Amino acid sequence: MKKLFLLSIALFSLNVLAHNDKKDIDILQAPILLAPGYGPLTFEAPKAGTYRQPIYGEATDGKVINSAGTSQKLYDLMGDKVVLLSFIYATCNDVNGCPLSTAVFHKIKRRLSKAGLKDDLRLITLSFDPKHDTPEVMADYAKSLETQQTDWRFLTTESQKELRPILEGYNQTIQQEYDDEGQSSGTFSHTLRVYLIDKNKKIRKIYSVGFLHPDILINDVKTLTLE
Amino acid sequence: MITKQTFTQFGKTLKGVMLGSAVALSMGLTALPQQAQADETCMSPYMAKIVGQEDYVYVWTLGVIGVGDEQDKMVTVSVNPADKDYGKVINSISVGGRNEAHHSGFTDDRKYLWAGGLDTNKIFIFDVHTNPSKPTLHKTIENFVADSGGVVGPHTTYAMPGTMMISGLSNNKDHGGRTALVEYTNAGDFVATHWMPTDEKLNGAKKSGQFADGYGYDVRVLPRRNMMVTSSFTGWNNYMMDFGKLVGDAEAMKRMGNTVVIWDLHTKQPKKVLDVPGAPLEIRCAWGSDKNYCFTTTALTSRLWLIYEDDKGEWQAKDVAAIGDASKIPLPVDISITSDDNQLWVNTLMDGKTRLFDISNPHAPKVVFEEQIGKQVNMVSSSWDGKRMYFTSSVLSNWDKKGENQDQFFRAYDWDGTKLTKTMDIDFVKAGYGFPHQMRFGSNALYSKAPALKSADKIIASLSK
Repeated sequence: MKKLFLLSIALFSLNVLAHNDKKDIDILQAPILLAPGYGPLTFEAPKAGTYRQPIYGEATDGKVINSAGTSQKLYDLMGDKVVLLSFIYATCNDVNGCPLSTAVFHKIKRRLSKAGLKDDLRLITLSFDPKHDTPEVMADYAKSLETQQTDWRFLTTESQKELRPILEGYNQTIQQEYDDEGQSSGTFSHTLRVYLIDKNKKIRKIYSVGFLHPDILINDVKTLTLE
Repeated sequence: MITKQTFTQFGKTLKGVMLGSAVALSMGLTALPQQAQADETCMSPYMAKIVGQEDYVYVWTLGVIGVGDEQDKMVTVSVNPADKDYGKVINSISVGGRNEAHHSGFTDDRKYLWAGGLDTNKIFIFDVHTNPSKPTLHKTIENFVADSGGVVGPHTTYAMPGTMMISGLSNNKDHGGRTALVEYTNAGDFVATHWMPTDEKLNGAKKSGQFADGYGYDVRVLPRRNMMVTSSFTGWNNYMMDFGKLVGDAEAMKRMGNTVVIWDLHTKQPKKVLDVPGAPLEIRCAWGSDKNYCFTTTALTSRLWLIYEDDKGEWQAKDVAAIGDASKIPLPVDISITSDDNQLWVNTLMDGKTRLFDISNPHAPKVVFEEQIGKQVNMVSSSWDGKRMYFTSSVLSNWDKKGENQDQFFRAYDWDGTKLTKTMDIDFVKAGYGFPHQMRFGSNALYSKAPALKSADKIIASLSK
């Protein structure tokens, strides 16, 4: 299943490249180097409990909808467990963007029991494209990831009105992209960020592409549970 | 008119096409750190990069008594030949008073430009995304010393994921060189202080030579090796002293940094203290995926040093070349690495020269070009393709040359691989701005906007329909 999942990402990426090649021959001249999160870490992850993780501010609350269509507060999903929160959109086509965070979460999911974190960690994947990513779409997104045995929540929002304060709270920048005629392309450019949130609803780490690796995230979660 | 704009982040290069205000922006915001070029990549690898024609150069400028409004200011120069104001100052925003304006750096989303004042310890945060041609002062951090627990002299402002890492130069106990790295969120909230290792408190670091002075200056990272590296200059007592007086003060001259520190980037723990005597200043790291090394220069000894990971995975420091005649104290200042890691521009303050080193063999750099830029020169910034070079003059208000030797400029050149051809020359004193220091590049196309919609709110609102 692990191989199948990575293969699906790779195939998805190839399709994206082909699509972009048709749109603009100038796009993607350089080969894409896959993010460290897809392979083995090139250095030894710092040992859990040997370092301090400062507070980067309060996690932001907000109104969200789960994949069953039920409204809830983001805070309802924080406080009892350490949380890893990722912002994605389901049609994201940058292999080192949203698919990376989902792939890393998937790897973490498979290692939770062995890491002794099954009851300590909640994974949250929250869409920033409520227009397309309805609860049904998020449920479909979750289905392919076999998340039934894991505390992994797939969320969206009712509209931009509910989404925007959440994005601002986490300082998650997104920009709509436009084609040559100035029409919305349906894609976003965004700085990939994943947030580590402790049981006091404090942000304790902000990850970008370079450090989004399961070895590092698992040790960071363990470090919080050891506090 | 269609203008090609090229961007990259973390080495992933994409081209977008700008039509009027419609921009196909890079998706590379989520790409990888692997290769980078020129001064754009002398900044953080976590940041979106301009690899096409830059539109603006933002010049963080010291206010000077008797010049214009005498205040520090962020000056914007139009540098795109396609712009009607090409070569002219198109905006200047004063920040109130003089703070010893020095270095500046963007946040990782490149929406804000942070600029520090070494004397007042204020950090000015400019909004450069709402209107890139006209930055505005968004926020001022006034409590840097109190927030950090006594750090003085905010120097490098360096983008980390969602945060800014600021290297200090001094402290509020003795205003000497012992200092720290200070972390803030992009929103401007204090996060943590990471003190430089000293003999008394190594904080887990291994001292590899004679020194563990605890001094600071620049900070850079190599994420693929989980490595952060810092250099060391001198404290407030020295950098605010008249340069002539300082050079004649033997005791003060002893209080200069002699170390480079290797840190665990993820945990922000110091790992190893390397001896690099003579005040190592700017650090530039190679970007090739197999090139685990950085360069720095020593101000007092006028040497080029290589900081490299050896075959056993140990970080080492090695003196690899002379920069001019050390006996004449040329005083190396800013440096800039080229796109292919093969060349390094090195400026020397006192003789006003820039030198180009061939660093294709990083263990044996050789000078291949040398030119006088002014009566003094400090900063050097290169376009992504290396074809356009920008220079400014000022180093510190009390170290700059005075009287008939005063020469305060922003100068731009085209570089064809063999010669520099001047394209712009703005006398910052005559123009009434002050003494120009750090340069950073801006581009309209970094910030996508729908042609018919003006605000981000409206763009997002359109998506919800």
